[in-house]
Amino acid sequence: MKKIFKRFLRDKRAITPVLSHLLLTVVAVAIMSLATSATFVITTNLRQTMGERVVVEDVWFNSATGTLDVHLRNVGKASIQISGVYVNHVGQSFNGVSSLQVNKHDWLRIAFSWDSGEAYYIDIVTTRGTHIADYYKAP
Amino acid sequence: MLSLVLVVIIVGNVVLWSYQMNQVDLERTQETLTIANVTRMEPTGLSIDVKNTGAISLHIVAVWVSDSTAHQRYDANVFLNAGESATYNRTDIALPQSVFLAKVVTERGNIAVFSED
Repeated sequence: MKKIFKRFLRDKRAITPVLSHLLLTVVAVAIMSLATSATFVITTNLRQTMGERVVVEDVWFNSATGTLDVHLRNVGKASIQISGVYVNHVGQSFNGVSSLQVNKHDWLRIAFSWDSGEAYYIDIVTTRGTHIADYYKAP
Repeated sequence: MLSLVLVVIIVGNVVLWSYQMNQVDLERTQETLTIANVTRMEPTGLSIDVKNTGAISLHIVAVWVSDSTAHQRYDANVFLNAGESATYNRTDIALPQSVFLAKVVTERGNIAVFSED
């Protein structure tokens, strides 16, 4: 056994064509796997940004709480996180939902003193930069 | 060579994803739904007559009933084929005595509204 091992180490001949093809295949597969993984990582943020879709199911000018309540539903392919809320282009504080998973819905309560009969431009911005904006008139 | 493969895969990935999202948006614009009527059921409940006026099937996931004092959302699960009409009855939803607004929401995010005059 020892003899065979020594002979193998002293052998100066090249590796067989079968082994070389096998090595080449392994290297190619490894590189392609790396490339695919890198692609996935590189494009994840872009795909999530492109996949954001949010709808406003309801807007409630809540006179009982004095807040402006917006019911949001995530109809896209990526979860969203709300970074800012603007009413008439002025930033407002909000509570309630701050992030929404795919197909989930919840209320977003904006602390804003509204007047009856006035129209307001409500702009909700996600962390990836998607705007959900429209005009809503208080009853 | 490797960078070329990488660029091709990245561009392909983005184009494919963009196509998928365009398809989602297209389907959403093709979907149209109307509420023909909303009536009270005795002793309690409501009945909504809905019609899918679009060219694709749709899935209703929520019903809203709102008045000046409350905005209430109820989960729903109704499928409508293209051109199909249906009456959706719910005994657990009490319609307000005052003027109300009823809405149905589809899975794609479209909303049909019925206002009681």
